[in-house]
Amino acid sequence: MAEPSTAGRQFNAEALPHLDALYRTALRLTGDPSQAEDLVQDTMLKAYRAWRQYQPGTNAKGWLLTILRNTFINDYRRRKLEPIATDLELVEPHALYRAIEDVDPEGAFFAKIVDEKVLEAIDALPPDFREVLVLSDMEGMSYGEIAEALEIPVGTVKSRLFRARRLLQSSLYAYAVETGIIPPRENHDG
Amino acid sequence: MGEPINCREAAERLQDFLKQELTPELEAEMQAHLERCRPCFDEARFEANFVLMLEVRARRVECPAALRARIARLLQSEMERG
Ligand SMILES: [Zn+2]
Repeated sequence: MAEPSTAGRQFNAEALPHLDALYRTALRLTGDPSQAEDLVQDTMLKAYRAWRQYQPGTNAKGWLLTILRNTFINDYRRRKLEPIATDLELVEPHALYRAIEDVDPEGAFFAKIVDEKVLEAIDALPPDFREVLVLSDMEGMSYGEIAEALEIPVGTVKSRLFRARRLLQSSLYAYAVETGIIPPRENHDG
Repeated sequence: MGEPINCREAAERLQDFLKQELTPELEAEMQAHLERCRPCFDEARFEANFVLMLEVRARRVECPAALRARIARLLQSEMERG
């Protein structure tokens, strides 16, 4: 096997450490392990071919996630024909904290829900909200990095993140009540 | 530091505060409010726990070893082609 060139070695050193992040994000975006694998592979090949345009010193993880996300939009999203939610379509969910502060002020119930259910609830979010939540809260990207990756204004990133978190909290709360993890609120009518 | 902020302003800043995206001045005002306002402190802790929970869940998912190996092979042949 031939030794990789300097460029090849640099690419390996910069890009390979982010495979976990790429795979996780691909899994959340596609909702399907085999599509996620294809998406990560396509992303890495594209990234390698575009390597010369990449400015060393910029954020490699953000750059790779941008390529992944663009590849997903162009080649994968339409396969699934997901409805694209606009920001206006959704009713503003209430803050969960206000509803349960007396029962569970620290949100301890979140930790009692198994990984699989949390991930399922994330996958069920509308795609536009889900991708912002994944990039922000699961991959630790900043508002600015997400805005750049998704080509949307920072204000849109913030409002989508706000709604995504609230939607996710409501759906996890509903699951927790349903399964008895948390007692239902007593309903005093009036 | 500027004027003390009230609970409504603190609520508006909470998301940016937890993302560590406030300017140092706004962050200091927020810190000062949380130190003396228990309800806002409790709410911030709840939201922080939620976000931390997501981060922890995310970290447990790893790229499968077979995919890692396949990508390494693909890149290797791509590099040999030049
Ligand atoms: Zn307050």
